[in-house]
This record gives sequence, C-alpha cells and structure tokens, in this order.
Amino acid sequence: MTDRERLVEEAVTAWRPSGTGELRPHPAWADLDAAGRLEVFEVTRLQRRLESALDAEGLSSTARAVLARIRRA
Amino acid sequence: MPDRQDVIAADPIVTAIAAGDASAFARWLAGAEPRLRQSLRSLAARIDVESVLQEALLRVWQVAPRFVPDGEPDALLRLAVRIARNLAIDAVRRNRLEPLDTDALERLAASVSLVAPPPDVRTDPLLRRAIDECRRKLPDKPAKALHARLESGGSEPDERLAERLRMRRNTFLQNIVRARRFLADCLRRHGIDLAVELT
Repeated sequence: MTDRERLVEEAVTAWRPSGTGELRPHPAWADLDAAGRLEVFEVTRLQRRLESALDAEGLSSTARAVLARIRRA
Repeated sequence: MPDRQDVIAADPIVTAIAAGDASAFARWLAGAEPRLRQSLRSLAARIDVESVLQEALLRVWQVAPRFVPDGEPDALLRLAVRIARNLAIDAVRRNRLEPLDTDALERLAASVSLVAPPPDVRTDPLLRRAIDECRRKLPDKPAKALHARLESGGSEPDERLAERLRMRRNTFLQNIVRARRFLADCLRRHGIDLAVELT
C-alpha cells in the first residue's frame, strides 16, 4: 500500500476529529491533493453503499455516526 | 400558502422527525445520506464531504422541530443541502481558500431531487440474500476489519480499531480494501454492480 493509498483509505472512515463540537476534516484528507480528495469521495460513496447494504436497517457508518452524536447530545 | 401543520401532516416521516422520533430520523437518513453526499460531489476537492455531511445531518435533526416544509417533494433533504452548502462556505472561508462559486452552490439545492435514492435493501429479498451470502464468504481478517468499522459507527479512529484487532494500522486498512473488493466482486457475480448503481 503506497502512502497515497493509505491516506485515501484512512480518510474513507466515518470517524472525524471533533475538538470543539463541530467536526473537522480528517487529517489524512487534509494531506491529499485534489485528485486524492476526489478519490476519497468516490471510494467513500462505494464503501457507504456497501455498509448500508450490509446493515439490517440500511444505515451506513455515516448515518450511525450522526445517530450516535444525537444520542450523546 | 399552506398551513405548516397541514404540510407536515402530509408527510408522516417529517411529522415524526419534528416530534423528536429518532427512529423515524434513522429511516429518513438511510435514503437521504447518499443523495446529500452525491449533491456535494462538485465540492469534494475543496471540502471534506464526510465531515460537512455529518454536521449537516445533525443540524437537520436539531432544526426539524421548527422546520416549515414548502409542500414540494424532498423538503427536508433540500433543507439538508442548504445547511451543507452553508457549512461548505464556512469551511472554505476558514481555510482561506478561493471562494466557492455561488451559482454552483445554488444549483446544488435544485439538483438534489434528481438524485435517485438507492434501492432499499430491507425491501429487496434478492439483494438481501446476495449480500448475506457474500458476507458469509468474506475471508476472516477482512471480515473482522470491516465489522470493526461498521460496529464503531465512526466513533473511533482506525488506530484504535486496529489495536483492538491486534493489527498494524496498514494491515487493518489493507483488510478494509480487501473486504470492499471482495464484496463488490461477489455482488457483481450475483448481478449487482454497486458502482453502476451509484452512477
């Protein structure tokens, strides 16, 4: 896995840092160039589609992350 | 101008969300998230779509009790697009990047209704069966890595998930890639092409 592939794959996760409450960009996303960021977008789209297909309620990790924040609020 | 209560009552899911029903919001999220994500595609090189998307969806929940639908389809989704657009503008300003094209941003809200929702896996038994079968065939380590990410629901960084599985971070990421490729290939053999579905 090259450094670029690693950065793309790291940024695909739904986890985002949240220092003051509002989410911030993933550090790996910030290290990518424009082409890498577009790749993150496309891979994430596929990954989320797979996740929601695998989930009994049709929810991706993005949806799960939002619901978790609602529960914590 | 239609009365707010009449318009809300016409859309039971909006009624439930406005009343604070989190499971109704979850059902709405399942269909809205891919459409909202797709509407942000043109900004993907300049903003981290995932963080803007999550923040926008959270704010939809927060403002839903005061939301006045306009009676047109996808009213809540269009609200989400407007919120996401404002968050994107803020992010660009914060990072001192060249301002976003406001015309392009205006087109976002208009285009979102054109994005079709994905097929609902809960109501499609053939899709459900193919997915279950492919998931069962996943090799052990990719299955564990994928499961860890799904279970965490974005609450933990990959380093922590990898540590729990006693994998190095790179190995963990490689296993995620393997799982995704394996599942996409397996589903394709069942006649389901997720890449085509997403176009």
